Amino acid sequence: MFARLVGESLRRNPRRKALTAAALAVGMAVTTATLTVALQVGDRMAREFRSLGANLLVTPQSDTLPLEIGGVDYRPVNEGAYLNESDLGKLKTIFWRHNILGFTPFLDVPASVRVGDAGPAKDSTVIGTWYEHDVAIPDGTKFKTGAASTHPWWKIRGNWFHDDSNEGVVGSALAATYPGGIVPGETIDIAENGGQTQDAAKTLRVLVTGIVTTGGTEDQAILVPLSVAQQLSGHQGQFRQLFVSALTKPADALADRDPKSLTPTEYDRWFCSPYISSISYQIEQVLPGTDVRAIRRVADTEGRILSRVSTLLWIVTLAALAAAGLAVAATSAATVLERRQEIGIMKAIGATNVAVAGIFLAEQLILAIAGGAVGFLFGIGLARVLGTSVFGTPAAPRLIVLPIALGLAVVVALAGSLIPLRRAARFDPAPILRGE
Amino acid sequence: MFGWLLWRLLRGNRGRLAVALVAVISGAAVISALLNLDFDIERKLAQEFRMLGPNLVVAPKGGMQSQDAGSTSATLMDEDSIQHAIAQTQSSDLIGAASYLYIVARVGGKPVVVAGTQISEARKLNPTWKLSGNSPENGCLVGQNVARELKLTPGDSVRITYLSRTITLPVDSLLDSGGAEDNQILADLTTVQQLAGANGKIEFEQLRVKGETSAIAAYASSLAASLPAYEVRPIPQVTEAEGNLLNRTKLLIVSMILLILALTALCVLATMAALAMERREDIGLMKTLGGSIGRILGLFLAEVGVLGAVGGLAGCIAGIALARWMGERVFGTSIAPSWEVFPLTIVLMIAVALAGVLPLRLLGRVKPAVILRGR
Repeated sequence: MFARLVGESLRRNPRRKALTAAALAVGMAVTTATLTVALQVGDRMAREFRSLGANLLVTPQSDTLPLEIGGVDYRPVNEGAYLNESDLGKLKTIFWRHNILGFTPFLDVPASVRVGDAGPAKDSTVIGTWYEHDVAIPDGTKFKTGAASTHPWWKIRGNWFHDDSNEGVVGSALAATYPGGIVPGETIDIAENGGQTQDAAKTLRVLVTGIVTTGGTEDQAILVPLSVAQQLSGHQGQFRQLFVSALTKPADALADRDPKSLTPTEYDRWFCSPYISSISYQIEQVLPGTDVRAIRRVADTEGRILSRVSTLLWIVTLAALAAAGLAVAATSAATVLERRQEIGIMKAIGATNVAVAGIFLAEQLILAIAGGAVGFLFGIGLARVLGTSVFGTPAAPRLIVLPIALGLAVVVALAGSLIPLRRAARFDPAPILRGE
Repeated sequence: MFGWLLWRLLRGNRGRLAVALVAVISGAAVISALLNLDFDIERKLAQEFRMLGPNLVVAPKGGMQSQDAGSTSATLMDEDSIQHAIAQTQSSDLIGAASYLYIVARVGGKPVVVAGTQISEARKLNPTWKLSGNSPENGCLVGQNVARELKLTPGDSVRITYLSRTITLPVDSLLDSGGAEDNQILADLTTVQQLAGANGKIEFEQLRVKGETSAIAAYASSLAASLPAYEVRPIPQVTEAEGNLLNRTKLLIVSMILLILALTALCVLATMAALAMERREDIGLMKTLGGSIGRILGLFLAEVGVLGAVGGLAGCIAGIALARWMGERVFGTSIAPSWEVFPLTIVLMIAVALAGVLPLRLLGRVKPAVILRGR
């Protein structure tokens, strides 16, 4: 009997029911979309922050002081410690390997350079690095990385050098010191001259493929493939500095504590969170003898802005949830109010307040679930559009949002009906039926 | 007569109108808070990006020069002309400007990079620097790696030798910069200039200008106009990433705000529509008494318009408080209210409230007899 009553009530006046369900659907679509985006925004923003470049710097532990001015190391090649290029694949074996988005080794060699066949020799720096290099990972796959991912703001006129070939790109400031500049296609003779042992045999000829503008000291140097710089310096398979770009989570109270002071559970939680400190620790473990430091200028800014934006987004999401709830509750209230006459008839023929409320609430429940489900589907679409317009890639649907959206729809629809139902309970059927 | 009717209408329906008013006020509060937030967010985020360090550099034409000032290939710039140009380009957007001159000096027989700069300005440019020791006076700051290597602590003094010149400086503080400065000793510019034998010369000047990309570019071009001999360039790592991130964040917040705006409008619309539906009986009565459709509609629109205006105004005031709270919560400082939010929100609320009365356009079809019979 109850089911029949509810079914009858639903079938009658389908337009009004559709309106309520539509309001529910719109509210829940917005809820789903904002929640889906809010759940992923931390990760997306962290990825965006990688346009700032590397946030970790790896150097040899037992190193002499780098003579670093504006990012270029002016130490002679036979001073200081080096790291092994062959170990780099291990970076992609750490616990947070998928958060390592890129890494680039650097080897700076003080050198004298001569453009063309008969130009004057000039002191300059040759920087060996990767632009796009395939690194062999211990699991047998290849990982393409280099300055393209850790220094995305470097701009090239012409082409980048090919890996392992005798090619190079010239910094724009250095090129500008030559009358008429340097054009791709010219050759440069490079001789290492920083060490005490002058060795004339260590002269290499590289083909210029482009002019690079970095905005930093690299503008006065020549960038060559790492292998060329290694050959020049005589440090085969070695490098001095490694820049790592890693996706991290903003630091919190746990991240700032010394790992040694943590209890085993806390340690596990710390190790399994992509904090910049735990990623540095894991890199130090796979590359023994290194010192991994966060590049604080980048890491601190990133952490601060990330946590601000996500707090902001959660507040905005809460506001969206409140607005959605209010809209749905208002619509539900309106439906109940409009049916006062029906309620009057029901009460006149002997229905108790509980029975009347039961029928209405059951009806609202069905509408809430139907509207909420449709809203969820629309919300996924909306989240995709939002994700694409803000971050360029659609936001993937999250199933966790479905129970939240449905639950919220049910709660607000029922809450919205309760207030007018309570007023309806106080109705005296007679005046209502008289049409007053 | 019209005014009197309106007044009676508003008074007679106090209870029901109060519900609608609450809906309008809460909608307006959320909307005005979010609009306030949106107007201020760029400034707030730009402030956070200060931590990225300097965003402009003045360098010799062609590119940045940073190497040993004494080396033959170093091109040095004239400090006075740059300071003069910066002082002339008066701008409240300038946060700090520091000149740099580098030498590779010897300390205790080991080569160390010594940077000459205006230390207080350099600290303004690099808010992420952490000092441990005394506040810097006329001594030097020692990078943490240098301090470890040379076993220096604050209060010690350090003997710096460059070519044939030697000076002894007290160590004011150790510097943890999380960058290249950890491997350097920072001393006052004049001291390093004397040591390098390059009085009044610098290698480059770094500046931090606050504001959006366009404000930074505007400052750069006005500074460049008074420095024809040198080049004023944005630091691409900082400015590009900053612009990019600001845009994304703004876009994200704006799209969320648009969604909420639509939802809030929907909510107010639903409440007003429900109110209008309930008025069918009044309308029937008015028509029977000979009221014209235009007049009845005018009365209802006026009622709803008043509701929208009053609710919108009250909501705006509540919205300022809400924006303040959000600002405290998110950025640690309150958000300054923007006055343009007031008319915007109120107009929006009135429009939404009026749209809610749209179902009343069916008034013409209302048959007084049917309504009054109670159907």
